[in-house]
Amino acid sequence: MMDKQLRIGLIGTGAMGQTHAHAWDQTAANLCGIVSRSEETAQTLARQYDATVYESLDSMLPHIDVLDICTPTDLHHEMALAAAAAGVHVVCEKPLARTAKHAQEMIDVCDAAGVKLLVAQVVRFFPEYALAQKKIASGDIGDVAVIRLKRGSSQPVGENKWFLDQEKSGGMILDLMIHDFDFARWLGGEVETVFAKSVRQENPEAEVDHALAILTHKNGVISHIEGSWAYPPPLFRTQIEVAGSNGFIQHDSDKTAATAMYFHESKTVEAPSVPLPSSPLHEDPYTTQIKAFYQHLQHDEPLRVSAADGLAALKIGLAALQSARTGLPVNIREMESVS
Amino acid sequence: MRIGIMSFAHLHAEAYIENLRAIPEVEMIGIADEDVDRGRLYAEQFDAHLFPDYAAMLATKPDAVLVCSENTRHRPLVEMAAAAGVHVLCEKPLATTAEDASAMIAACEKAGVMLMTAFPMRFSAPLQQLKAQINQGNLGKIYCLNTVNQGQIPLDYRPWFVDPELSGGGALIDHIVHLADVMRWSFGCEVTSVYAQANQIMYPEEVSTNAAGLSIVYAEEVAVETAGLAMLTFENGVFATIDCSWTKPLNYPTWGGLSLEMISERGLTIVDAFKQNLNVFTENPIGHSWAYWGSDANQAMIEEFVAAIKENREPAVTARDGQIGLDITLAAYESVRTGQPVSL
Repeated sequence: MMDKQLRIGLIGTGAMGQTHAHAWDQTAANLCGIVSRSEETAQTLARQYDATVYESLDSMLPHIDVLDICTPTDLHHEMALAAAAAGVHVVCEKPLARTAKHAQEMIDVCDAAGVKLLVAQVVRFFPEYALAQKKIASGDIGDVAVIRLKRGSSQPVGENKWFLDQEKSGGMILDLMIHDFDFARWLGGEVETVFAKSVRQENPEAEVDHALAILTHKNGVISHIEGSWAYPPPLFRTQIEVAGSNGFIQHDSDKTAATAMYFHESKTVEAPSVPLPSSPLHEDPYTTQIKAFYQHLQHDEPLRVSAADGLAALKIGLAALQSARTGLPVNIREMESVS
Repeated sequence: MRIGIMSFAHLHAEAYIENLRAIPEVEMIGIADEDVDRGRLYAEQFDAHLFPDYAAMLATKPDAVLVCSENTRHRPLVEMAAAAGVHVLCEKPLATTAEDASAMIAACEKAGVMLMTAFPMRFSAPLQQLKAQINQGNLGKIYCLNTVNQGQIPLDYRPWFVDPELSGGGALIDHIVHLADVMRWSFGCEVTSVYAQANQIMYPEEVSTNAAGLSIVYAEEVAVETAGLAMLTFENGVFATIDCSWTKPLNYPTWGGLSLEMISERGLTIVDAFKQNLNVFTENPIGHSWAYWGSDANQAMIEEFVAAIKENREPAVTARDGQIGLDITLAAYESVRTGQPVSL
C-alpha cells in the first residue's frame, strides 16, 4: 500500500530554509507550503518547488503534516507549539530553542500532542563526523580520553543581523558551538562541568566572537571546544581530534579540502551571508539529514539524534555562556538559570 | 669553556650533548649519573667521558653544567653545582615544588652563579617570528589563543616520567611550562588565573615498554595524569587554552608537537613550531615518520647559555622564568583538585 505523501511546510527562508527546501525536494515528500517574512524569497522558492506561499503559520498549518522551522532561534518555541496544537510534526533547526525552559516545553508539548519533534543537529550527518563517531563507538581507539573540536568561520549576518543579537540567537556560543557541544556529548557522554571564555565577553568592543570551552564529562573524559566567528571570509574550518586508550583519530578540513583553486584575478572576496562548511560529496549532509528525517517521519526508521539530544546540547551551550559571563566553571545540573 | 652534563635522566640530555659539541669554544667534558647503568649506557652511546660521580665532575672545576636529572632531583644537583661555583642550565620544569625552586634560586644567587631554565621554545624560529610580528604590532590587539603541546607518553624513553616521586606529576608538569612561557614571553605580561582539568583514561595502570636502547623491559605503574586541558588568563586580558596531553600514539610519525592558533584584531594566525618536516615512508620496517629540517631551537638555547656566561650577563631565560612556569603549573594542579580557577 502506498503511504500518503508527506506534506511539508517551511517557515523561514534564509540560508538554512533554502538549504532545507532543496533537501526536501530530493525526498518523496511534497514541500507544499512556505511562510516567510521575505515575500520575494518566498515567491522564488514557491515557484522553484511548486509550493504555495501562505501569509501566516496559522493559515499554513491545516495544509501540512510537518512543519520545518528555519527561523531565528528565539521564534522556534512558539512555532513548534502552534504546530503541535494543530497535530503537525516538527522539524526544528538547531539550537532547539533559545532557552532550556522553552526547549523542554517544546519536547513536553509535542510529546503530549503525539507529534514528532526532530532537531537538525546536522553535524551528526556530516560523513567525517559520522564516520569518526562510528569508529569510536566500535572501540577502534579504546576508551575516549580527550576530545578536541574546532569550528570557525566569518561572522554570519542573516536577516536584520539576528545572528549577532544575543537575545535572538545566543550568539556564536549557542548558534555555532552547539554543533560541537552535541558532537562531544555524542562521543564522550553526558557533560557535567563547563568552563568557557569568549572574546565577546572579554573584549566587547571587538567586532568578532571566538570562544574556548573545556568540558568535563561524567565519565572523566575532557573536551576542548573552539568556536569562531572571527575568521576572515571565506575561511571555514573544522577539526576533530579524539584520543583514546588505544589510539587517536584526527580530521582537519584544511587537509581534506579535496579541491583547491587559485585564480589570477584579484577579485574582492565577498563574505557569504551565512557561511556553511562544504566538501565535494555526491550528497550534501543537509540532504542526508533531511532524508533521514523523512525516513523517520514516514517509515518510523530510527534516527541518530533526538530532541532530548538537542536540549542537552543547548544546556551545554547555556552553561558555556554563563561560565564566560561569570568567569567560573558551571555544573550543568546546578545551572543558575535554565530559563 | 668546559661544560659537563649532570644526569641523563631527562631525554633532552641526548640533544644537549650534541649541541654542546657543536660549539667550537665549548669542551664537553663528559657526563655523570647517579644511575650507574644509565650513565654507562649514554657515555658509551655518545662516546663521552663518564665521571664516577657528580663530585668528581665538579672537582675538575668546569665552567658550567647542564642539570638533566629527574624533575624532583633538580634541587640537590643545582645546589651542589652552586656550592662548587659552577653556572647551571637546568632542565624544565625548574622544580616540582615552590620551596625547591626558591632554594635553588637562593643557592645560585648566594654563590654568584647563573641559573638558566631550559625553555628551548623561546629559540624556535617560527615562535620568534610570531613574537616579532606581535611586537611590531602587525597582528593588532590579541584576543585569545588555542595552544597545543601534545606528546607521546615519555615512557618509551624514561620510565620515571610516570612515577610522581620522581616526576612530580604527569602531563601537566611535563608540558604546561613550555607554552605558558612562550606566551608570557611573547606578550611581555603575566598569567593572572589558571583553570585546569585532567584525567588518566589513557594508560590507566601498568604499561610495559622497552626503554630506548636498553634490553630492559619496564613494567611501569602509571600513577600520574596522562591528559590535561588548562585555561590561562593574562594581565592584558588575553585568554588561552593549553592542551598538555600525552595523546600521541606510539606509532605517530613524531614525538608530538607544539602549535598554536591565535585570534587577534587582524584575524587568524597559525603557528606550528614543528611543521618543517620531510615525510619519510619506509617498507622495512614498515613505517612513516617525519624528519625535521627546521632550525634547531635546542642548539640556539645552549649557545645563549654559553654566550651569557662569556659575556657575564643575564641569560635570555632566567631562573625566575622557570619559577613562574612552575607556579602556573602548580596552580593548574590546584585547580584540578578544587575544580575552580586559581588566581596567581
